[in-house]
Amino acid sequence: MDREMDNNYENISYEVIENIAYIGFGKNKQKAMPVLDEKTLFELKKCIEKIKNFREDDAISGVIFFSHKDGVFLAGADINLIDSLKSEEECKAGSSKGQEIFNLIEDLPLPTIACIDGICLGGGLELALACKKILASNSPSTSLGLPEVQLGILPGFGGTYRLPLRIGIPNALDLILTGKKVNAFKAKSLGLVVEVFPKERLLDMALKFLTKKKANNSVLKSIENLAIDNFIARKLIFQKAREATLKETKGFYQAPMKILELLENTAGKKRQYALNAEAEAFAKLAMSEQSKRLREIFFLIDKSKKYLGPIEMRDPLPLSRGVVLGAGTMGGGIAWLMADHGMRPVMKDITIDALELGLKQSSANFWRSVKKKKMSYDDFEKKQRSISTQLGYDGFKKAHLIVEAVVENMDLKKKVFAEVEEFVTSDCIIASNTSSLSVTEMAAAFKDSSRFLGLHFFNPVHRMPLVEIITHDKVSPLVVKTVHQWCNKIKKTPIIVKDGPGFLVNRILAPYLNEASYLYEEGVSVADIDNAALAFGMPMGPFRLMDEVGIDVGVKVGKILHHALGERMRPSPFVFKVFESGALGKKSNLGFYRYDEDGKSCGMNNFVVENGPSKFKNMAEQDIQWRLLLPMINEAAIILDEGIVGTAGDVDLGLIMGIGLPPFRGGLLKYADSEGIASIVEKMDKYASEVSVDRYQTCKYLRDLVEKQQRFYDV
Amino acid sequence: MNDVFIVDANRTPQAKAGLDFKNVAAPFLGIPLLRHIMDKVEIPDDGIDEVIIGNIGTPAKYPNISRVIALDAGLHEKTSAYTVNRNCASGMEAVSQGFLKIKTGRASVVLAGGVESMSQMPLIFNRDMTELFSKLMSAKTLPDRIKALAAFRPYYLSPVIAIEQGLTDPFSGLNMGQTAELLARELNITREEQDIFANESHKKATIAWESNRIADEVVPIIAGSKLEKLITKDIGYRSNSSVEGLAKMKPYFDKKSGTVTVGNSCPITDGGSMLLLANEESVKKYNLRPMAKVIDYFFGGLAPERMGMGPLIAMNGLLERTAKKIEDVDLFEINEAFAAQVLAVLRGMKDGKVASRFGINRVWGEIPYEKLNVNGGAIALGHPVGSTGSRLICSLAHELRRRRGKYGVASLCIGGGQGGAVLIENLL
Repeated sequence: MDREMDNNYENISYEVIENIAYIGFGKNKQKAMPVLDEKTLFELKKCIEKIKNFREDDAISGVIFFSHKDGVFLAGADINLIDSLKSEEECKAGSSKGQEIFNLIEDLPLPTIACIDGICLGGGLELALACKKILASNSPSTSLGLPEVQLGILPGFGGTYRLPLRIGIPNALDLILTGKKVNAFKAKSLGLVVEVFPKERLLDMALKFLTKKKANNSVLKSIENLAIDNFIARKLIFQKAREATLKETKGFYQAPMKILELLENTAGKKRQYALNAEAEAFAKLAMSEQSKRLREIFFLIDKSKKYLGPIEMRDPLPLSRGVVLGAGTMGGGIAWLMADHGMRPVMKDITIDALELGLKQSSANFWRSVKKKKMSYDDFEKKQRSISTQLGYDGFKKAHLIVEAVVENMDLKKKVFAEVEEFVTSDCIIASNTSSLSVTEMAAAFKDSSRFLGLHFFNPVHRMPLVEIITHDKVSPLVVKTVHQWCNKIKKTPIIVKDGPGFLVNRILAPYLNEASYLYEEGVSVADIDNAALAFGMPMGPFRLMDEVGIDVGVKVGKILHHALGERMRPSPFVFKVFESGALGKKSNLGFYRYDEDGKSCGMNNFVVENGPSKFKNMAEQDIQWRLLLPMINEAAIILDEGIVGTAGDVDLGLIMGIGLPPFRGGLLKYADSEGIASIVEKMDKYASEVSVDRYQTCKYLRDLVEKQQRFYDV
Repeated sequence: MNDVFIVDANRTPQAKAGLDFKNVAAPFLGIPLLRHIMDKVEIPDDGIDEVIIGNIGTPAKYPNISRVIALDAGLHEKTSAYTVNRNCASGMEAVSQGFLKIKTGRASVVLAGGVESMSQMPLIFNRDMTELFSKLMSAKTLPDRIKALAAFRPYYLSPVIAIEQGLTDPFSGLNMGQTAELLARELNITREEQDIFANESHKKATIAWESNRIADEVVPIIAGSKLEKLITKDIGYRSNSSVEGLAKMKPYFDKKSGTVTVGNSCPITDGGSMLLLANEESVKKYNLRPMAKVIDYFFGGLAPERMGMGPLIAMNGLLERTAKKIEDVDLFEINEAFAAQVLAVLRGMKDGKVASRFGINRVWGEIPYEKLNVNGGAIALGHPVGSTGSRLICSLAHELRRRRGKYGVASLCIGGGQGGAVLIENLL
């Protein structure tokens, strides 16, 4: 029989053509991405067992794995699978079950090849590693990696055993510890992939490779392997890796350390020993609180990609050409973003000097990629030159999206909007990158305010993943939906937020920064405060952050929020003093800290020291942390009460993506939940009497939670 | 026959080769121009029938530079695009072909212009080295290869400078400067006349830029090592130029007894220019506001070693074809390849004896000084070879608009012994 199809499977296809078995994933093309869920694994096992039995009468001479789905080989194991496991024992059993199936593949006395076109991550790559050879397509979407560490776990289907064998310990550590993805060519140079072909040729070439003998390792490779394969060298490698990892994670993350421990323990050991150790380590991590939190964040990010704003049945409009108004730091950054995503933006300002500033910003962003060899000079030139500078309004008629980033001045912005609207087509979307002004008030400047919304990028644009999409009563749902989709396309994390002072992130950030200054006035040193924040896992302390943001900006936003929200938002008088002394933060080389020409920190600003508290006091690190966090939690509760965002998850995602709140904490409100709302309120009440009635006045939302014995995430 | 309208025209600043645009590859001297024109009008990206670009120093990477410009500037992939080369008049050739296509109904909307990066003209391996390479590549065995390599001599590495070759006439063996010397000798054009003419060019360009009156024809170009700067003005004209200063310069092409210096010749330059041409139907369809109309053009030839007289041949032909007199024309843009050559042309227009030496039996009369190259010419602004032909028409159209004049003539001499001329009529 030349051709035999087996339709007994739902998730995978199985076909034998001229004695070669073809196993295809993603048979059900409706599903977004093929993953290794329980059913797929089960069917896979049945399939392999069948081939094993066939083998005995010599009916099959090779096995080829591939995917029907364009752009995805296998996106990994189903993460929901982990959540369904209830104990370490169950986890270990689950891991072992997967390992056994992959062992079956590895043990087939037949040539086996995985043909990878598109994404091949986690369990997908572990499956490919169980094959004798991997071929990959040169499609831009092809990427291989083991990203489990990002979810606080480790590869549990034999990846930690097979990857070091295939590409050596140092390279394997690099991939498993960082979770980074590599493209087909990099994978080939690592030795992970045997050869790279256009996707249309993969299956044909696989047939040739089935019979091809494995090439001998090069002499250099053998020497390298020999060098690594001794006890002392290995010790050194792991020691170095441990140091680098600790520096990166500051010791906050368990998974990387566990991975190091596991790989060091299993290096050079037999398969069964290594796999057993892997399953045990996997189970420990999967059951940990930290991994649970990281997985929840993964789901939050995933959810943010789905449009859940005002209901709109129409498809979003394509936004293929952009305009940026105002060529400052933000304008230049947004122009860069548009240029990088092929929108050939027009950048408009009122002087050539201003335009050059924007070009400089965008060039600096591109140049970083050129220096890291992530972008060729030709691509840089093409993209940077795709920004068309304008003093007038030429090109606005052809724009689909205009983002305004002029000075934060309501009257000026309104004037600009009224003017701009004269030069655009009726379906052009106009957005303001305001960080603090009322979007509702701006909307009034438009003839057609349904085309307008707030689109708040965070500074610096190239580093901060969060974008707040700010709605108002008159905005068209189609506009919100379109902009939301665009944010996904440009690889930002969007959150839809209702208009209100400071929107979401800045409004929660303000009490944190205020409280830091109050603490300093009380006599807690800047170093103690910043260190307490670092110890909590923040990427930088509040004073460092104020210097980065700019003290002038902080003062301006602080005033607006105080005015709009009342006494609980009153900024500390000390910040005004520092601002009036002319210290604007890092950009003026003087903020709370001093900076040298290159922007490196070199001690405190003398003014801050001289005008600071006369006597310093010691405060326990935890107390400092609570003083900083409680007003944030309280403000977040008020925000939920007002319906600015829908869920506690939105708040947490915003703070993680917007100000770098540590992911391992699961977010601010997740942290509050884990500490217990009752205990939060108790601490609030204590500080209300000891420190400030205004700033620590527990809001109704929090008290209601206590009364109903609910947590933020229960609502 | 359809009328042919100039809807818009713009150009880059022009910068002496090796200066601010030395890293700007030729296509990028055209892309922003095309984009700016398209951004001003409501013609859709697939509404252009043809893009025609003049270019002579064809970069190895962009054999058909016109298509590169068209696509990168965002025109639809179905847009036809080709590159033309008529040496110094390539930009004018592009406009002329666009004119013909619209005139005869083969096209409705055409983008025509020119680009030239003379900074990036290549160095070429000489013939011996090229020979060595080809032998080396066809050598099959190691001894053959060693044998081929052994033929190497150090002088093989001395490169042929493409630009130098391009500026030398292959028939007469004279370089362009030497053809200007020949005209100066034969028509007795003095060194002082040439220096005065050159000085005026700088003076006029200086006034034009100091008052910023010609800024409206220029599109700023991104430059700088990290592409963070905007160049907004021509670079190379001298506001401190003086006849005395020019008089101190040594003759360059005939070092012993010559009169043509680097100072009274045009510099080698980088730049681009672009025009949007359309028929009446398209003007109505897209609600365009044309600035001028192309009336006609003429190209003709003469002895290569006297190529500088080309404009005389061309203007004679053009004025005859269109039945116009010098008095009908409000502005002339005659390219200043060399002061000597422009002065010779002016002489030929008014002096029957000179004209007859070039086969012309008609005296056209004096071209008034105040109508000629009023914002400076190539001596001050430079001569990006492939672009100059369309640059002249662009500058002419804008200046006619500024002065509300009627007719204007753009003309230039062409290396190899030709001349080209175009007559346009201002509509604004």
